[in-house]
Amino acid sequence: MKNFTKELIDELASKLLIGLNEEENKMVLNEFNEIDHNMNLINDIADIANIKPMTHPIELNEIVLRDDDEIEELKQEEVLQNAGEKNMVSVIIPKVVKE
Amino acid sequence: MKSEILTIQQNIKSGKISKEQILKNAKESAMKNQEKCNSFVTLIDADLNLLEGPLSGIPYTLKDNFSTKGILTTASSNTLKNYVPVYNATIYEKLIAAGATLIGKNTMDEFGLGATGTTAHTGLVHNPWNTSKQTSGSSAGSAACVAAGVVPFSIGSDTGDSIRKPAAYCGIVGYKPTYGMISRYGLFPFASSLDHVGILTRTVLDAAIVAENIKGQDPKDMTSWDSSSINLIEELEKKDTKTKKLFYIKELIDINNYTNPSDSLKETLKIFKNTIQKCKELNMEVDEISFDKALLKVIHSTYTCISSAEATSNLSNLTGILFGPRKQSDDITSMIIKHRTEGFSPLIKRRLIIGSYVLQKENQEKYFINAQRVRNLIVQKMNELFQQYDALILPCSEKGAKDFDENSLDCEMLDVLENHMAIGNFGGFPSITIPNGFVNKLPIGINLTSKVKDDANLLKIAQKLEEALGFAGQIAGGNDK
Repeated sequence: MKNFTKELIDELASKLLIGLNEEENKMVLNEFNEIDHNMNLINDIADIANIKPMTHPIELNEIVLRDDDEIEELKQEEVLQNAGEKNMVSVIIPKVVKE
Repeated sequence: MKSEILTIQQNIKSGKISKEQILKNAKESAMKNQEKCNSFVTLIDADLNLLEGPLSGIPYTLKDNFSTKGILTTASSNTLKNYVPVYNATIYEKLIAAGATLIGKNTMDEFGLGATGTTAHTGLVHNPWNTSKQTSGSSAGSAACVAAGVVPFSIGSDTGDSIRKPAAYCGIVGYKPTYGMISRYGLFPFASSLDHVGILTRTVLDAAIVAENIKGQDPKDMTSWDSSSINLIEELEKKDTKTKKLFYIKELIDINNYTNPSDSLKETLKIFKNTIQKCKELNMEVDEISFDKALLKVIHSTYTCISSAEATSNLSNLTGILFGPRKQSDDITSMIIKHRTEGFSPLIKRRLIIGSYVLQKENQEKYFINAQRVRNLIVQKMNELFQQYDALILPCSEKGAKDFDENSLDCEMLDVLENHMAIGNFGGFPSITIPNGFVNKLPIGINLTSKVKDDANLLKIAQKLEEALGFAGQIAGGNDK
């Protein structure tokens, strides 16, 4: 059995820019050994290393390229309507390069 | 052949009822259903516009993860609680063109990452057959409102069994066509290699009618393919005298493989065997096939690894900067962390942490890549079987709908029985659930899965069986509604 820690769970979450409170961390930590054990069953399958990984359910034999026609585009003001802060053409965010 | 859609259309044509009245009734029924089951995030309050087309006058609903321009679309998540899309999903455009009228957006498990109907930001979805029970998920509200007779169809999405399991728990039909038959453009992605668009109805013919109206190659979805040579409705209506060959997996039907089997499981398996007998009476051949137990036991883990890993990538655009409720902070990273920390529910965080774990450099080969290899093995095995057989037939679950606090499975084979429908997503196989009776007064379903692009044949088998079983069109609370 592996020794999963509160710190590891926090680290895995923080890599996805997610924070966990004590309760959430405890919930995941408590069942992580079982989750890991179950996922590890995959490695019991014989000759697994020789199988090709399947990334997509059906073969795409033909990639359809669209004709080089003008397509309908979204209007800039519509695209910006869901942004919290914006001016006419841009989304406003805090200054990234600090002085 | 039973069809709610054709019945409505005949009633309109004969003057029994007007289109306006049908839509008014659906709207009222949706409001009642909302009070009872919490099936909706949004009820369309504007005047119900009547559109022209082959589905004119037919009301329907969409799961709340389909983009609808100008209509709130939340994926049942606090991270999108104020999001109003600026473009339409292809299926929504097609249904507008077909004349159908959208009356609401359905509650779901947050972003589709759940199988209980309990993780929406607007609360639990209740089963219309018994409101103290789950609907299952993630297309929870879609299943609840179709089962209650609010609308004849709803559009859902299915990544592991998210249409077919709630359909089983709610006593209706849930159809997931072959991967790529219906465009995913405008569906909020969860795990792109497993995500399918599908349909919830009360009859197989209705599933075919809706699929026929929304399928087709879409330049906006490069994984969609040209299905114009397949006409699902015409194929269903054609007389077919060919003997259909079905198989079921012995390990899942043998009660001796279950530790302490419940009375409900015994009853489910008894009903399944009766259904197999009915198949034989319908001139179908049914064989019992032994499937590698080691492979069966890793279906759930394979699904967990692949779907969680893909979800971490697909959900990375949820920052609260370009859309979604913005959090205030002095720096952009803190803004994003606050948005995601406060926006995601604990259960979605759990799944994303699993995704993060299997994608770590030291784990990637061992978990994520090996899961993709197992996926290949399972699909290869199924394709071998589909060379001899028309379809796989199995129960959808141990029993009917679960209690809200019931989740743990203490038996390995039960875990397989509850999760085997993910095979349909691994291979992109067409798969359909139809009602198969009741256990403890709760509906149960039976699932049929076929080879890729054999949808017409699958629907024929399902329709034939539906007719023999006699549950087509059933409504929770009675058909007198």
